[in-house]
Parts: sequence; structure tokens; C-alpha cells
Amino acid sequence: MDLASRYKGVVGMVFGDNQSSNEDSYIQRLLDRISNGTLPDDRRTAIVELQSVVAESNAAQLAFGAAGFPVIVGILKDQRDDLEMVRGALETLLGALTPIDHARAQKTEVQAALMNSDLLSREAENITLLLSLLEEEDFYVRYYTLQILTALLMNSQNRLQEAILTTPRGITRLMDMLMDREVIRNEALLLLTHLTREAEEIQKIVVFEGAFEKIFSIIKEEGGSDGDVVVQDCLELLNNLLRSSSSNQILLRETMGFEPIISILKLRGITYKFTQQKTVNLLSALETINMLIMGRADTEPGKDSNKLANRTVLVQKKLLDYLLMLGVESQWAPVAVRCMTFKCIGDLIDGHPKNRDILASKVLGEDRQVEPALNSILRIILQTSSIQEFVAADYVFKTFCEKNTEGQTMLASTLIPQPHPTSRDHLEDDVHMSFGSMLLRGLCSGEADGDLETCCRAASILSHVVKDNLRCKEKALKIVLESPMPSMGTPEPLFQRIVRYLAVASSMKSKEKSSTLGKSYIQQIILKLLVTWTVDCPTAVQCFLDSRHHLTFLLELVTDPAATVCIRGLASILLGECVIYNKSIENGKDAFSVVDAVGQKMGLTSYFSKFEEMQNSFIFSPSKKPPQGYKPLTRTPTPSEAEINEVDEVDEMVKGNEDHPMLLSLFDASFIGLVKSLEGNIRERIVDVYSRPKSEVAVVPADLEQKSGENEKDYINRLKAFIEKQCSEIQNLLARNAALAEDVASSGRNEQSQGSEQRASTVMDKVQMESIRRELQETSQRLETVKAEKAKIESEASSNKNMAAKLEFDLKSLSDAYNSLEQANYHLEQEVKSLKGGESPMQFPDIEAIKEEVRKEAQKESEDELNDLLVCLGQEESKVEKLSAKLIELGVDVDKLLEDIGDESEAQAESEED
Amino acid sequence: MSYAYLFKYIIIGDTGVGKSCLLLQFTDKRFQPVHDLTIGVEFGARMITIDNKPIKLQIWDTAGQESFRSITRSYYRGAAGALLVYDITRRETFNHLASWLEDARQHANANMTIMLIGNKCDLAHRRAVSTEEGEQFAKEHGLIFMEASAKTAQNVEEAFIKTAATIYKKIQDGVFDVSNESYGIKVGYGGIPGPSGGRDGSTSQGGGCCG
Ligand SMILES: Nc1nc2c(ncn2[C@@H]2O[C@H](COP(=O)(O)OP(=O)(O)O)[C@@H](O)[C@H]2O)c(=O)[nH]1
Ligand SMILES: [Mg+2]
Repeated sequence: MDLASRYKGVVGMVFGDNQSSNEDSYIQRLLDRISNGTLPDDRRTAIVELQSVVAESNAAQLAFGAAGFPVIVGILKDQRDDLEMVRGALETLLGALTPIDHARAQKTEVQAALMNSDLLSREAENITLLLSLLEEEDFYVRYYTLQILTALLMNSQNRLQEAILTTPRGITRLMDMLMDREVIRNEALLLLTHLTREAEEIQKIVVFEGAFEKIFSIIKEEGGSDGDVVVQDCLELLNNLLRSSSSNQILLRETMGFEPIISILKLRGITYKFTQQKTVNLLSALETINMLIMGRADTEPGKDSNKLANRTVLVQKKLLDYLLMLGVESQWAPVAVRCMTFKCIGDLIDGHPKNRDILASKVLGEDRQVEPALNSILRIILQTSSIQEFVAADYVFKTFCEKNTEGQTMLASTLIPQPHPTSRDHLEDDVHMSFGSMLLRGLCSGEADGDLETCCRAASILSHVVKDNLRCKEKALKIVLESPMPSMGTPEPLFQRIVRYLAVASSMKSKEKSSTLGKSYIQQIILKLLVTWTVDCPTAVQCFLDSRHHLTFLLELVTDPAATVCIRGLASILLGECVIYNKSIENGKDAFSVVDAVGQKMGLTSYFSKFEEMQNSFIFSPSKKPPQGYKPLTRTPTPSEAEINEVDEVDEMVKGNEDHPMLLSLFDASFIGLVKSLEGNIRERIVDVYSRPKSEVAVVPADLEQKSGENEKDYINRLKAFIEKQCSEIQNLLARNAALAEDVASSGRNEQSQGSEQRASTVMDKVQMESIRRELQETSQRLETVKAEKAKIESEASSNKNMAAKLEFDLKSLSDAYNSLEQANYHLEQEVKSLKGGESPMQFPDIEAIKEEVRKEAQKESEDELNDLLVCLGQEESKVEKLSAKLIELGVDVDKLLEDIGDESEAQAESEED
Repeated sequence: MSYAYLFKYIIIGDTGVGKSCLLLQFTDKRFQPVHDLTIGVEFGARMITIDNKPIKLQIWDTAGQESFRSITRSYYRGAAGALLVYDITRRETFNHLASWLEDARQHANANMTIMLIGNKCDLAHRRAVSTEEGEQFAKEHGLIFMEASAKTAQNVEEAFIKTAATIYKKIQDGVFDVSNESYGIKVGYGGIPGPSGGRDGSTSQGGGCCG
């Protein structure tokens, strides 16, 4: 932004103003006294006066601006020895750059401080000058200089970052300030925090200059998480350095290690009191941990190794223990801290099988009161009064179960119904309760007191346990629960019990409809479980359809105007799963019957429209923001406030929507992906089923003929019966056709008001017509291909015949050749035999003679060589003998020496082989 | 993680001479023929042993382009060692050595140890700078010299270790005040806190606390 031109305009305006012009001439006079005065004392008084005037009013700051800077900079440059003048100059400068509070009242007024910052930072030289002042002895000089730099940074960040970067040793000087007296150190900390915001190169240089060591030593000095706001500043600086730089993350890991940051999370003894500052400090440290867990903000594909290495090292350094202590065992930690802790635990094990196993093996508590950490987390989920905490802890199970068949199986293996508790013992009292028992207890807690909240949280966990795991699904399907009142009713499968709770929840909801009492997520979460469970699982479909009421209820739910978009959508998906995963052939329970029921209840158009409505809702829309965005903590927030803010923000986004905002986090990307893919499959399959009604009457042309021996009457009766059956089928089809026509007509009626439905219906028609046309086309194509195939096979057969003849011929000539070869071989063998036997020695005289000659020659040659070698060896041996004698004279253990030499040469030979 | 000394290195030289490859070969023992241009500065670290003492090397790999010079200069002063690299197959990278050296002399501390590396010596058939010329340049400017290949790993270990050994020797000879971290040296556990500290038995303030 170019403020200079505006500045001129404003100055002009100010000059036009009488009062200001007075001020201006006053300042002019002061500046004159400062630069041209001869009496040192007078100059000092003048600068003190100037300083107080400038600090007071916006107008004075404006008037000071362009004229004042050269004078002040001159003092700083050339009169360093006059400490008082330098101090005064710096204070004046600071005054000119600090916005005056009551100036805000007059909104039209130009912010003089802003313009002055702009003027001053325009010259990089000025910044260099200021940085050089940091080396002055005087405390105040350094202190004011830091404040001036901070003020400039706040107003013209980029320019200052650049200027400091290009000043040789500029950053070094600032870093040195961290080792200065406390007041200066704190000031420097703030400055560096601003300086490192979104400036990667500065971040790296700051780290190069040893920032990590300095930061952690300050944190330690200040008492870790118990320290004051300085600790928070330190952590903010640290987070700036680590947020987007994998290079800096590696450096921390490879040099200081992660212990210093992890140890900030360590609670000393039992902590009862979490002050606001301590909470903020812990949250900041958890943010650091989270950055390390997530690697760089924008994950490049190749740089995944950094992220994984971070996760491994963090767990090696016992981070999990501290997190569990903070999030699970410490009952006094504020909810915000506990939530952040769960998020970190979840991310730490996400896609990291080893860390997952370590978490699974962790136990908490002491002596006999130990229990697996996962059980403790489950208990928190079931019992916490905070929805945020439930969602955060739920995330741990989500990441634990994802692509972890073994872990899911381990959790599911304990899903064994306990005999009904006689006295209602409390969950918290029994650390010996298995994971599965606790989960089942949670699931059934609706039975006793209609506590569907706990039930739905348990349902959420169960959906992680069965997700994508057919064995766990089957296992859970086999669970049969006793009837709450044994006298009434029979035992009930878990799956059906959960469907029943869904029904209870929806009836409760419709009763409470008039009350504006908050949004609920109970039905959605239970539906999520049922949808997840039923995927790829015909047994679940069967179990669902075992009771005719279920289908009726689900159809009601899909069309229930009181239900939310999301509930209706998920119910439709569940309904669709009853079609696509239906393996039943039983009348009334097969895929066709379900489709039929849908068609009769609401019509396919209206059914499909539920999907679209849901996909358009905020939870499914792709524009939904990732739930984990970077949000800096302000310097003095109250944690509870921060939480409220967060919820508010989400609320803002979903205004006018009936679904609970927490579903944003609970419906993770993989679930949303699942729903989308299911939707596609369902549409396809339903059209398929609908367009091919199974025929009740098999038409076999031969049946229509009079059978031999059949008399006319019987024949006619048979035909009559046949025609009756066909007639009823035609009636049936006509009725269906009418329903479909009505569906089309009614969607046509809604055409004007509801474009989307109309579109859906024409899409439907098109799809059906398309499928018929396709079938026709396919059949004729098939005919063509069959014909072509026949021709091909025929020609193939004839060519094969030819081939066979040829092969036969070949075989014959081959066998002839073989025979003659064998004959030749036989002759040769005979010859060899006779040669060996010496029966005909003169048959090949030349060869024998030559062979003999060559043999002799070779023998002679090798003999010669051997002789040479022997001579050499003899020489060597005598040498060794001589040397040995000499060495013995000198007192050396010759045998040992010779042995060593042997070993060495062996070793050498070996290594040469490598 | 504990070390007797920590040395900071920088790697400088024209773009494309193989600085990043040398660092990768040294820290990860691998060669990556195609990789991104270094933007600004990248970091690597490794532990070595000299005189039976564990020594941690922190290495900053800089970008060679002119536009990054002002940034990379910030790293000179705090470095104990510099690897100045040229490419034996590209004459101009050798010709630029003087300007790099000038930069280093101007911004680095006077005791910085500089190792001149003629890289890509595996490409002997494309050689454009003879070994003797490299030697001669090093001799004239008081540098240590080696030809190396980041591709075959030839002399890569040696170059980094020889530099460290030289720095180590300088410490033993009392050239540095090692309590002053601006020389790019830090004393950890088991390191001698410099000759002066050794004599009067006090340990230096700067080192050892955070190993
Ligand atoms: N043959 C060969 N190629 C190398 C060697 N070192 C680096 N290179 C190649 O030279 C190019 C530049 O390397 P790089 O490390 O990015 O250079 P930098 O700009 O100095 O960091 C890359 O294509 C490398 O594959 C080496 O020792 N031998
Ligand atoms: Mg590079």
C-alpha cells in the first residue's frame, strides 16, 4: 500500500487546519532546536518536549513524520556517544509509531502511526541502523529499539522481514537478545514471534542460530507449563518455526530430540488446579505435538517419511504415556486439553500399525486397579458430559480400527453378553469389565432409562469395530440379548435391538418436535452403525428383514417429514442396502419385495430424491472445511471461551440446517465416501430389479401343445389355468405400471416447484428405457457375435485339420531322422568299442599319434613349471629359514608370526572373493 | 543423541554442482539422480566419530542461485565448516570459486574451515577441470581439497570427516573460544570445553545442557 501519496494529501489537509498548523510549527521549532542548537542541555530539553508532544496526539504524529525522521535518524547515526539524546530520540520514534488510542474515536482520521511506520521502514538502511543499536551497552537503548522494531513489524510486516533478512547478522543480533536480561528477552521473544510468521527463510535462519535450545531453556527456566505468558510466547515462536518447515522438524528431531517438548506435557504429581495460563500453555504444547505428528501442513508425497519418523520417535519417547495421563487419567484437566489430547493420540496411531499396537497394550491405573487404556477411553466416551470430548475420544477408536483387522477382532472378541445385572452396578466401579461388556452395557443402557445418548455413543464405537470387517460383523450379528423382562418376549439379536432403539429415538424426536430443544445426533449415529454394519453383509440384511415391522418402520422413517435430511437420507441408504446385499429368495424378504415396497410406499422418484437432498446438505457437501484448521490461540483466551467460539463458528455455517454440527466430525471422509458409492450401487441395482420383474408363469412353448394322450378337456383346462395365471400377472404388472405412471405424473406435477425431482424422474425414465434398449441391443449383438464365433470356429477347425496333417507329416520325418541318427550313433559306438578293444588299431592312426604327442608335450611343460616352482619355493624356504634364525636371535616368536601371516593372506583371499 | 561436540557446516557452490546430492549421500547413503532444486536452505544431520569422540554434524545445504545469496549469507557466520563445491565437468563452476570464497571470507568467521570439493569425479570422460588445477587453487587459498562423487560415494565420507577432523584439531590447538557458539561449535557431554576451561576446571556455560 502506498501511503506516501496519501500522506501528502493528509499533511496538506492538516496544514490547512489552523490548530494543526500551530502544532506543526511548534514541532518544527523543536526539531530546529535539536538539530541546530549549540547548548547540549537545550537540545536535551527540546527532545524531551518533542517526545511528549508526539506521544500525545495523532496530529502531532502526523506533523512529526517526514520532517522529524531525518533529524532523529541523524542522532542515532552520528551522536551515539550522547546517551541521553539517543534515548530521547528512540522514545520519540517509538511515540511516533504507536497508535494513539483515542484517535480511534474519529474514524475518518488517518492513522499517523501507520503512515510513520511506512515512512520509516521504506528505507532498509533505517532498519539496519536500528539493528546495530541492539549492540549498545545501555539497557534502555536496546529495550526501546526492540519495541520500535516490533511496532514496525506490526505495521509493515513484509518490508521489515525483508530488511532484516538482508542485513548481515541482523537475525543473529535479535537472537542474542534472547539471552539478555528478562525484560529484553521477553520483548525479543515477541518480536521474533511476529518476525517468523509466514517467513520460511527467517524461520530457518532463526533455527540455525540455535532458537530451539534457547526456547527450551527459557521454558524450563520459567517452569514449563506452570510458567506465565512467556512460556506461551515461547511455544508460539516454536510453533511458527515448526508449522510449515519439515527441515526444521527434522532438525529438532535430529539434534535436541523431542523430549523437551514432550516433557512440557508431563504433569508433576497429581495436578488439581489448571489455571487459565497453564491450560493455554498445555494447549500450545499440544499444538506443537500435533504439528510434528502431522508433518508439514501441505504434505508433499515424498515427504511422508518425515511424518512417520516423527510419529515413531514421539512414541519412543513415551509421548503416549503423557498423553494418556493428561487426557484420561488426570480428571482435572480442562475439557479443551483433554480433547486436544485425544486428537493427538488418534493422529499418532493413524496409519501407524506399530503405534497402534503400543496403544492397545497400554494399561492405566495402579496395582489391581489396572485396565487397558482403550477401555478407559471407552468409559470416557460413554460417560462424559461433554459432546466435544465424546467426539474427540471417538476419533481415537476410529483411527485405531481403520484398516486394523486384528485390532477390531481383538475388540470384538470380548463382545459377550453378560447375564443381566441384578443391581445396576456402575461402569466406573468395575475396572475388570471387558471392553465388549462395557460396550454392550452402553448399547443397552437405553433399555432401563431411555438413555439413548449413551447408547448412540456406544453405537458409534461399534461401527468402528465392525467397519469393513466381515468376521466382526458376523460375530456381532450372533449376539443375542436377553429380554429386559424375561417374562415378556423372547431373546432379541443385538442388531434388532439397535433397530428398535432407532425407532424409539425417532418416536421421541417426533414427540419433542415442538420443543426447540437443541439438535440431536442420536438417530444419525445409530443409522451410521446400521449402514456400516450392513455393507457387504447379507446376514445383516436377513436379520433386519426377519421382522416385517422393520421394513415398515424404515419406510416410515424415509418419508417422515419430522426427520432431518440426514436421517431420511441414511434411512434410504439402509433401505437400499437391503436390496443390494439381499441374498434371500424368500417371498416378501427378497430384493424384489423391498423394491416393490419402496415403489408402493413413496415411488422411486421420491425415494431417490432423499439421496440428493442428503448429498446437498452441509455434512456431505464437498465444500465442508476440514475440521482441523490452524487457529492461533490469542494471548489471553479463556479456554472455555475458545471452545464456545469453535461451536459458534460451525453453527454459523449450518444455520437453518436441522442436523447437529458435531456430525461434521463424526461423519468422516471414509464414511461419506462409502455413502456416495453405496448410492450409486443402489440406483443401479434398483433399476435393474424393477425393470426385470420375476415372472410367475414360466412360458414353455411345448407346454402349449396338446400332450399326447391328453384329452381335449384336460388340455383346455390346463390352458385355462395357464391363462388365468398369466392374466393375474398381467394385472399385477398393470398395477405396477399404473403406480409408476402415477409416480411420473406426480413428479411431473411438482415439475414447476421442484426441478430436481422432475429431473430425477426423467432420469428414471431414461434409465429404464435405456436399459431396455440396451438389452435389445445386447441380444442382437450377442447373436451377431455367436454367428461370427461359429464361422470362426469352423474356419479354425479346418485350419486345425490342415495343421494336424502337417504335424503328422513332420512327426514322421522327425522320427525318420531320429532313426537314422540312432543308427549312426550305433555305428559310432561300435567303432569306439572296437577302438578301445584295440580290435582295429590302425583305423585312425593319425589322431592317436597326435593325441599322444600333445599329451607328452603338455606333461613336459607342466613338469618344467613345477620344477621352476619348486626351485622358487626352495629359495623362499631358505629365505624364511634365514630370516627366522635372525628373528629368533632378536627374540621374536617366529611360529606365531608365521601363523598370523597365514591368517592374513587367507582373509585377504576371502575379501577378494567378495 | 549425546555428543562431545556439535559442528555446524554449510555447503556452498553454484547450482547443479551436486551439493544436495553430497548431503544426501552423506546422511542417507544414497544417490538420487533427479530431485528438486533446493529452495533457500535445507537441513541434514549425522553423527561421526573422531578421536573416539562422538561428533554431531549439522549441515545446511544452500541454494546456489544468485537470488538466494543474501539469504544463504546469513548462515556463514555461525558455521564452523564449509564445503565449497564445484563440478569437474563444468569449467564455469570452477571459475566462480573465487567469488564464493570472497563471500565466505567476508561473512564467515575467520577460523571457518573450508573444504574444496571437485564433485562428479565419476564422470572422468567429461572432465573439464584437472585435478592439479583444483589442488593448485586450494593451495593458493589455504583450503583442503578433495575430488569426490556423490554418485559413487567416493570420498564423500572422507570430505565431511576430514573437515571435522580439521576443526577438531583447531579446537585442540585452542584456536576457538568454544563457549562462544557463534563459531558454529557446541560442546556437549564429554567434550573438552576448550583449553582455557580445561585448565581452570570450570565447565563452559554454553554447552552440555541440552544433549
Ligand atoms: N554423475 C554424477 N552426477 C551427479 C553427482 N552429484 C550430483 N549429480 C547430478 O547433478 C545434478 C545436480 O545435483 P544437485 O545435488 O541438485 O546440485 P545442487 O544444485 O548443487 O544441489 C543432479 O542431476 C544430480 O543427479 C555425481 O557425483 N556424479
Ligand atoms: Mg541443491
